[in-house]
Amino acid sequence: MSVLVVAEHIRGQVRDVTRELITAGRELGPVTVAVIARDPAPLVDAVNVEGVAEIVTVQVATDEFENDAYQSAVEALITDRRPRVTLLGFTVNSMGYGPAAAAKLGLGFASDVHGVALEGDAVVATRSFYGSKVSAELDFPGAESVMLLLRPTTWVPAEGPGGASVSSFEVTASPSRARHLELVEPATSTDVDITQAGFLLSIGRGIGEKENVEMFRELAEKMGATLSVSRPLVDAGWMPASRQVGQSGKTVKPTVYLAFGISGAVQHLAGMKTSGTIIAVNTDPEAAIFNVAHYGARADLFDVAEELEKLF
Amino acid sequence: MQTRETFAGLSDWQIGLWYALIAVSTAIFAWGVVRLVLKYRRGRGRFPTDQPGRRVARTAWIVLTHAWIKRRDGVAGLAHALIFYGFVVLFIGTGILAFQDDFAEPVLGWDFWRGPFYLGYSLFLDVFGAALIVGLLIMAVKRGSRPARLDYGRVDGVASRYARWRYQVGDWVFVGSLLFLGVTGFLLEALRIAETDPSFEKWAPFGWLAGQGLQALGIDGETAAAAHFRGWWVHGIAALTFVAAIPFTKAVHMMSGPASVATRDEMAGKRLVELPPSPKPEEVGYGVVADLAPAHLLQLDACTKCGKCHAACPAAASGYPLSPRDLILDLREQSEGTFGVRASLGVEPLFASDANLIGNPIRPETVWSCMQCMACVEICPVGIEHVPIINHLRRRLVDRGEMDAQLQATLETIYDSGNSFGEPKRKRGRWAKELEFEVKDARKEPVDVLWFVGDYASLDTRNQRVTQNLARLLHHAGVDFGILYEGERNAGNDVRRAGEEGLFTDLAESNIEAISACEFERILTSDPHSFNTIKNEYPALGGSWPVVHHTQLLLELVESGRLAPQKRLGHRVTYHDPCTLGRYNGVYDEPRKLIAAAGCELVEMPRNRDNSFCCGAGGGRIWMSELKQGDGPRPSEDRIGEAMSLERVSTFVVACPKDVTMYEDAIKTSGHAGDIQLREVSELLLESLTLAAGADATAAPAAPEDEPTAP
Amino acid sequence: MRIVVCIKQVLVLGDEVEFQDDGLDVDPDYLDSALNEWDSFATEEALQLRERLGGEVVLVTCGARESEAALRRCLAMGADRAIRVEATGRDPFTVARALAEVVRAESPDLVFCGVQSSDAVQAATGTVLAELLGLPRAAVVTRVGYDEDARKVVVDRELEGGLLDRVEVDTPAVLTIQTGINEPRYANLRAIKQAEQVEVDVRSAADDGMPAYRVRRMFVPERGEGAEMIDGSPAEIAGRIAAIVKERLG
Repeated sequence: MSVLVVAEHIRGQVRDVTRELITAGRELGPVTVAVIARDPAPLVDAVNVEGVAEIVTVQVATDEFENDAYQSAVEALITDRRPRVTLLGFTVNSMGYGPAAAAKLGLGFASDVHGVALEGDAVVATRSFYGSKVSAELDFPGAESVMLLLRPTTWVPAEGPGGASVSSFEVTASPSRARHLELVEPATSTDVDITQAGFLLSIGRGIGEKENVEMFRELAEKMGATLSVSRPLVDAGWMPASRQVGQSGKTVKPTVYLAFGISGAVQHLAGMKTSGTIIAVNTDPEAAIFNVAHYGARADLFDVAEELEKLF
Repeated sequence: MQTRETFAGLSDWQIGLWYALIAVSTAIFAWGVVRLVLKYRRGRGRFPTDQPGRRVARTAWIVLTHAWIKRRDGVAGLAHALIFYGFVVLFIGTGILAFQDDFAEPVLGWDFWRGPFYLGYSLFLDVFGAALIVGLLIMAVKRGSRPARLDYGRVDGVASRYARWRYQVGDWVFVGSLLFLGVTGFLLEALRIAETDPSFEKWAPFGWLAGQGLQALGIDGETAAAAHFRGWWVHGIAALTFVAAIPFTKAVHMMSGPASVATRDEMAGKRLVELPPSPKPEEVGYGVVADLAPAHLLQLDACTKCGKCHAACPAAASGYPLSPRDLILDLREQSEGTFGVRASLGVEPLFASDANLIGNPIRPETVWSCMQCMACVEICPVGIEHVPIINHLRRRLVDRGEMDAQLQATLETIYDSGNSFGEPKRKRGRWAKELEFEVKDARKEPVDVLWFVGDYASLDTRNQRVTQNLARLLHHAGVDFGILYEGERNAGNDVRRAGEEGLFTDLAESNIEAISACEFERILTSDPHSFNTIKNEYPALGGSWPVVHHTQLLLELVESGRLAPQKRLGHRVTYHDPCTLGRYNGVYDEPRKLIAAAGCELVEMPRNRDNSFCCGAGGGRIWMSELKQGDGPRPSEDRIGEAMSLERVSTFVVACPKDVTMYEDAIKTSGHAGDIQLREVSELLLESLTLAAGADATAAPAAPEDEPTAP
Repeated sequence: MRIVVCIKQVLVLGDEVEFQDDGLDVDPDYLDSALNEWDSFATEEALQLRERLGGEVVLVTCGARESEAALRRCLAMGADRAIRVEATGRDPFTVARALAEVVRAESPDLVFCGVQSSDAVQAATGTVLAELLGLPRAAVVTRVGYDEDARKVVVDRELEGGLLDRVEVDTPAVLTIQTGINEPRYANLRAIKQAEQVEVDVRSAADDGMPAYRVRRMFVPERGEGAEMIDGSPAEIAGRIAAIVKERLG
């Protein structure tokens, strides 16, 4: 039972999710890591960790990710190596080609998977449905090979020196129909860098109206915290993107993360769940954030915020 | 013989000239009136023609008793009555004289204007002429003391296209010209008496006295006659000018006011009017001035700028960019400048007929600031319907999707989930499942009372406690009631007032369908907003049933002994009349009787009953972003301040779920937590009863002692 | 210019859940339905392009009759036509196959899908559709710069951390649209009611081919230790929180 992991990298750095895939993969069988890049050599060391049996480099014309190049490379590798399971991160880039490759090759497929197991010969993947409220076990009868996109930060990134063999794999280049032009930093103001804050007070959809942002801004100031937000508040234009915690925002790891009115969507949790101490206040007792929080209170946000203000 | 000579000292051609001038003045007046009527007919639809006899009778009564004018300003009421009756009597007096001179005598040979009749006539006219002048002087003094509601400053921060000083000048010219006519009238009489010195003219006391005065000054005989001749023409031409100018000046309210009262919709605002079936975009609401109903166009001209609506409006008082008066005046200027007299004379500002109403100068924020509380419509002396007009403006904005993002999100949420909180439908009945007894499902079995609970009462945490306690009261009193559980959707009252007519119809039709499938005697609501729409608006969509609000039902139970309060609570309380229960539906006494039944002492706030001050949540505002300008208190905070100004009042009593939410919040944000507690009426009643364990707890903070409040 | 927008009527679960007897899905009684949030952004983007360049916006969805409500919503926003493919599968492969034939027949210049649906969150259907149609694609798009003459579109893809990847895509192409790209306009009820008069074109799809996966069991996950819950009045809760904060920050 072999496992193929496709490495993800950007600006010359291998992303953490790759090593998380390795951790997951090595439970299932010997892991081969594919490094697809214009210059793969400098990236090899970063994926040569414990559990990796083989590293295959594929040279492509593009220096950053492009759909077509990755898809051709991965399809060729899967056809050649015939792994039982191919693991990609459930990331923005993977969304652009993973499902396409799986459909083309007739693989089993599931994304946002947070649990993988082998039952005899069968691969069983666990993922959530209905906004993380329920989980499901999936299997792939009749599929010789399966592709899974794993939820980032579920597994711990693999560490420790590995002794993988390194080889190269040739793929015939085909013209790229979606061509990378450049990477653009989002327009950030001279606003504070929330990743540097030791104490974050974070607000989400639960605060209701735009007018209420002010109240929490004041509370944060009084408590000596930096104000951060979840995605919906940025989408609505209430706060700048520089304040957003989450997968498409910033990943933070403050000593204390105090969340008001944040339900705990997976993308948000991914951005803060390694914080030192997480305290969540939400009126919904089923809010997913309580799964990662250390302390929780099912209460009215404004009542608690008001009381807190008196104490600082 | 006691009489006087008409047209004394005038030669025949001068009399002829006089009649010619009358003809000219009348023609101009007539042209003005015709222009106005033509303007109104440019509107969409027709004037109401139902119950003409009743309309005329009602209008006559309102006008003659000055019932609406004297509200909240007795002095203005008195002064206006003096002016009104003075003017009417003088007008009739002139008419009698014209009748005598131009018809009765030449045609019928009948000369009655002499002797005792003449003396009575003289006395009457003199007294009423004096009344006219006194009334005008009172008004002039009032206006001169620059009361706030006559300050025409705009609250919406927009520079008006129409110079506001013209309003001030117009007002003073109006008062001044009437005074001029009154005073010159008396002066002429005095001069005549000074010249002819008839002893019987003591029957015209003021004229007589003035005449004596003139004689004492040496003005009599020839001097007086000459002065009288000149003065007569001055007064005459001034009077004819005044009459000709009536349709073009503030004086038009003499006609447009009563006409507005006669053509009004008595249910204006309480029962909004439907759209035509399958309406085209240009048929939805008011977008251009020709969309206004003829009655509304007329109402714009009935406005005398008295400012009572402005003074009553909670939005204007709290710093929102809305003044009902300014809105009406802006619309008037637009109607005049589009197809009114000003347009036909080319006087700026002029508007194209397809010019948007919303834009310049009416800001969308102005339209969205309205809480649809009806304070303006309630107090307007000429029956202007500000609230429906604003609602029509909103309908067009909503149809075009031009609204606050929060309102849009809430309307979408209501469409998707049937409630404004976005909660799953199953959650509606959750509060009932936590009770010690089962609450019947009215969809499955017949009940006596079908309780339509409402969004806030079902789903908001603080209000759920009120609802549960109300259920306990009903259960204790042995009322056979049931609820619709998931079959209930938002009643739609506020959705309609926010302008989403289509969503309202959708909600109402689905509620009517659900209710119609049940067997029951009457509907109970615990939310005045639901009460208003089910009672007044659902019948037009096919759902007509007897509806009561819970204060009415609870009072019934108390008065019949099925609920017997045992403890006299002894709180000193004040009661806030909810807009939709009080002004909209006239339910003022029942909650007060319940408060008394619970053994509490009621201290009224200065603005109570029909003058109650809205909490700020109505008209869908609770779903919109803040539009208040400046740092002043919100309407709900202002109201708490009003309650705190009363002596030793410990409890603020409400009867509406939105009030519960707004005032619990306002008590905290205005810094009075601990000084005053909030209770819903039914909670007070519950406290005064002794029920089984588990039913006493209202979980609201304990009542502070009825001590003098801290400064 | 023709833009096809693929939309989905998603299922929404409240906080109570019961499963069907076979344990493979949630009991439908516990599910409400709604238009997928991403799809209103996708529809709005298509409408804005049409306003600029003219043409038509065609909606396609895959589902049973109830899913027409989502179509009505987007028609009310201003889309021109709606097609429903009668199909019951909900995994990305089955859905994409059902959509592919219909979309291909429309010969679109652009195809918009939402990045993902809120009930399944596979974020795959759009990409699979592109593969089946043989079209270039870009996923997680937050800005669309369409050059009709050059037959190219320059898009920004929103990567993790907010970084934007600017990509030039040959058209016709499939783009999966991310939330926040625009402000979806309000579909007022009058327009929704009028949309109810519009006939939805219903097609059937031969449901052969393998699904991407099979659900073996659905369950409510154990929550692990979860958070230590603080009870009491707001004042008590605030007091405890303050204590924790002060202690952790030193």
